[in-house]
Amino acid sequence: MLTALIVLPVAAAIVVALVPGRRREIHLPLGIALSATPLALAGYLFWVFEPAAAYQQVERAIWYEPWGISWYIGVDGISLPMVVLTALLVPISLAASTSITNRTKEFVVYTLLLEAGLIGAFLALDLFLFFVFFEAILIPMYFIIGIWGGERRIYAAVKFFIYTAFGSALMLAAIIALAASHTAEFGFTSFALTDLVNADLTTGAERWLFAAFAIAFAIKVPLFPFHTWLPDAHVEAPTAGSVLLAAVLLKLGTYGLLRFNLSLFPDASVDAVPIMATLAVIGIIYGAVVAIVQPDLKKLVAYSSVSHLGFIVLGTFALTSGGLQGAVIQNLNHGLTTGALFLLVGMLYDRRHTKRIADFGGLQKVMPILAGFFLFMAFASIGLPGLNGFVGEFLVLIGSFPTLPGFVIAAATGVVLAAIYLLWAYERVFTGVPDKEENSILTDLSPREIGLLAPLAALIVVIGLYPGFLLDRITPSTEAVLDHIVDQTDFVIPEPGRVDDVLVAGDSS
Amino acid sequence: MIATPEISWIAIAPDLLLALGAAAVLLVDVQWKPPARVLAWVVGVTLVSAIGFAVLQWFQAHDAMAAGDSTTRIAFSGLIVMDGFAVFARLALLAATALGVMAGWRFVVSLGRRGAEALALILLATAGFSLMVASNNLIMLFLGLEVGSIALYVLAGLSRERPESDEAAIKYFLLGSFASAMFVYGVALIYAGTRQFEILEIRGFLGNFIVTEPAVIYIGIGLVIAGLGFKVSAAPFHTWAPDVYQGAPAGLVGYMAAVAKVAGFAAIARVLITALGDLDLTWLPVVAGISALSMLLGSVLALVQGDLRRLLAYSGVAHAGFIMTGVVGGAFDAILFYLAVYAIQLVGSFAVVAVVNGPDGAGSAITDYRGLARRSPMLAASFTVLLLGMGGLPLTSGFIAKFGVFTEAWAGGYQWLVIVAVVASVIAFAFYIRVIVVMYMDESIDQVELSLGPARWVLAVAVGTTIVWGIFPTSLLELAADALPL
Repeated sequence: MLTALIVLPVAAAIVVALVPGRRREIHLPLGIALSATPLALAGYLFWVFEPAAAYQQVERAIWYEPWGISWYIGVDGISLPMVVLTALLVPISLAASTSITNRTKEFVVYTLLLEAGLIGAFLALDLFLFFVFFEAILIPMYFIIGIWGGERRIYAAVKFFIYTAFGSALMLAAIIALAASHTAEFGFTSFALTDLVNADLTTGAERWLFAAFAIAFAIKVPLFPFHTWLPDAHVEAPTAGSVLLAAVLLKLGTYGLLRFNLSLFPDASVDAVPIMATLAVIGIIYGAVVAIVQPDLKKLVAYSSVSHLGFIVLGTFALTSGGLQGAVIQNLNHGLTTGALFLLVGMLYDRRHTKRIADFGGLQKVMPILAGFFLFMAFASIGLPGLNGFVGEFLVLIGSFPTLPGFVIAAATGVVLAAIYLLWAYERVFTGVPDKEENSILTDLSPREIGLLAPLAALIVVIGLYPGFLLDRITPSTEAVLDHIVDQTDFVIPEPGRVDDVLVAGDSS
Repeated sequence: MIATPEISWIAIAPDLLLALGAAAVLLVDVQWKPPARVLAWVVGVTLVSAIGFAVLQWFQAHDAMAAGDSTTRIAFSGLIVMDGFAVFARLALLAATALGVMAGWRFVVSLGRRGAEALALILLATAGFSLMVASNNLIMLFLGLEVGSIALYVLAGLSRERPESDEAAIKYFLLGSFASAMFVYGVALIYAGTRQFEILEIRGFLGNFIVTEPAVIYIGIGLVIAGLGFKVSAAPFHTWAPDVYQGAPAGLVGYMAAVAKVAGFAAIARVLITALGDLDLTWLPVVAGISALSMLLGSVLALVQGDLRRLLAYSGVAHAGFIMTGVVGGAFDAILFYLAVYAIQLVGSFAVVAVVNGPDGAGSAITDYRGLARRSPMLAASFTVLLLGMGGLPLTSGFIAKFGVFTEAWAGGYQWLVIVAVVASVIAFAFYIRVIVVMYMDESIDQVELSLGPARWVLAVAVGTTIVWGIFPTSLLELAADALPL
């Protein structure tokens, strides 16, 4: 079934590619329709997913025996939300791309290939396979930014490509090194994650390898100081590109830190906690402060991603149950809210052809529905209780407190700053009287656009009110990661850092 | 009656056929002055039968290896070997030749009556290089090298009307003969130190005796590395490459570069790893240094080129460095896989150049490729696949090839070299991507329809193998793993 999840988008891309180029009007609808099949499958996957620690739906086929590489895929509570999110956002961002009239067919094809690569990267349990997907994603994304982007699209696309390619090159060397040490220790070569976690590394080697993986993922997240590609890529990318970039592509970084760094290098992870937490908190505050002063709405949302992803990294390296749960759930949340915010900015841009905050004003009167959605998404992003952002950030903050109290206090200011930049942006764009003539003639959202935003809004409310259905599926896997760290290192998680501690505390009260 | 040594015709059948084919092309041309179509048939039959015999050799070598029988694989009193390594390299050469003739067919036709010369030279060059990869004797290796190289010097200068082509030929010839001289002097010094010319005998000698005065051999090794390093355009012996790639006829450059790389690296691997394997402590650091220098210099200089052919030349320098990491790792199969994959991609890339800039094309500025995706979407898409393949992006054969040589170098203890290599790969992405940017993201300057001609088959093969071996590399990897030298 998981193979089908990867193959279906590729097949869809091939089908769209085979449609003659002059039938322009059917490329986009066909792409949307075909991308509904992976979504349905992902929904089914979510439904049949058993809340258990082990990888599920595992499929394994030998690729090339002497190298120990295999088509080895499986899903657990950490990858499941990301797979569903990817499958959900691709049809939505395609449907939001009606303004792309130039080379539509290629656009649809690249988006579908991107989907296949992303799902593949989240499902891969073989490091070689993961690397293949991780790198293969660059090409469609590169074309999406470079062909359909804004004015400085080529600069942004090349910068995006080179930054990420540099990070993954280091990771490739680290993967080779890891497999080599596994071969030396066990006598057979394997790139399977489940084999490599057993490799016994010297402290020095482990730190180097941790650093190589961490830099690759830190560039992807992006963590301060590797974030400089992000505003360019986001601002220049077309709406669909920004949505997928922010909502899913960046998550490869946080997902990779959680999946690979913590499991493969537990000792080094424990040692690296102060560094990673510091970078995370710098990212949280720096991203938020820079977001406040952005004159460009899209850039503001882009920098807010830097800030929000800092929370995820902080939660990951808190090495507590709450921190990891929060990180995984926030992976999903940030995808939903930021994806929606980018969609809204795109809808504004389609109407007004500007993203400068100063060009707007008083839009609430002209387009109340858009304003309402924007406010709703801003609240979700800020972390208003009852919406999903609250669940994630609260879990991260409260979960990280036992191990990283000082960092949590600093990070909490990020929540306040988020309220400032988002609400201030809302105020400048939407409130007041529409004093500019161009703004007073804008039309409100069409039913199609509402239809795109509604599922995201619904999920935001559902996760905000009842996160249990997600946490049930996530927790066994995050607990397994923590168990592994506790087994492999002499790191002791202070109370109440584990789920069990919290439950005991709850029972006694 | 004098006993004649037993002659194993099968061991040289492909090379013999190529030489006969070259003679046939010239004779047919002189006698009947036929249209180019007829010559194409002669060349085609020659290549197909040569490939057929090479496949036959493959099975014989394989059977002999399975039976543990080494005598059937050594022919002509130890001058020639017919082992898996030689046959695999030969098949790669023949494939590159077949594709190269198709890619350069327009140029051959444009030469008019002189077209036969070009075809004969191509067949001769391949015959020489094919002997070179199969030689078990350093003198034999030198002969093959010279037969191949001299034919290439002439090919570089075939567009006599263009001064750049003359310049390329003269430069290639002067520097090339200097490199050959260094190689042959190195061979003499190795002979002085070991009293052997035969590769297997040298290995035996070095394995059984301790060389008391190794300086002679060391200098010999250095000269051999320099001479062969020139042929594969490894830094710092690469200075000829950009001018030759740029000046030589566009249709033929891909072929010239590909066969020189394949033969040169097959020789480097055989001489260094097989013959001088016991002295690897001497040459490993040197080769590693050349490798690192080639990768970095090649990829950095490729970044700043304004001409596509110079860019491909410098990228060829970088690739020489990448393949050298396989030599450092001592892995014949990884080297062979890389060579086969890269040779095909190289011929394919220059097939694109020959289509866009014309079969003889004086210049090939990168700006000529602006908006190629609109002018000719298939051509641009094919070129993109080939560039990404040479860049080593996953899902292309180039990635598998790079991964193979890097893992071997890592396992061989040269971790720093692998780190240099991955950094160089990223720089390499930057300049390959630059070409793709120009093709896809700039507006077209020229709407003239491009016709591919026979190059379409070259591209079909090159793109097809790049993708298929990128996703299902097992078949070729297994063949390469079987292609062990004696």
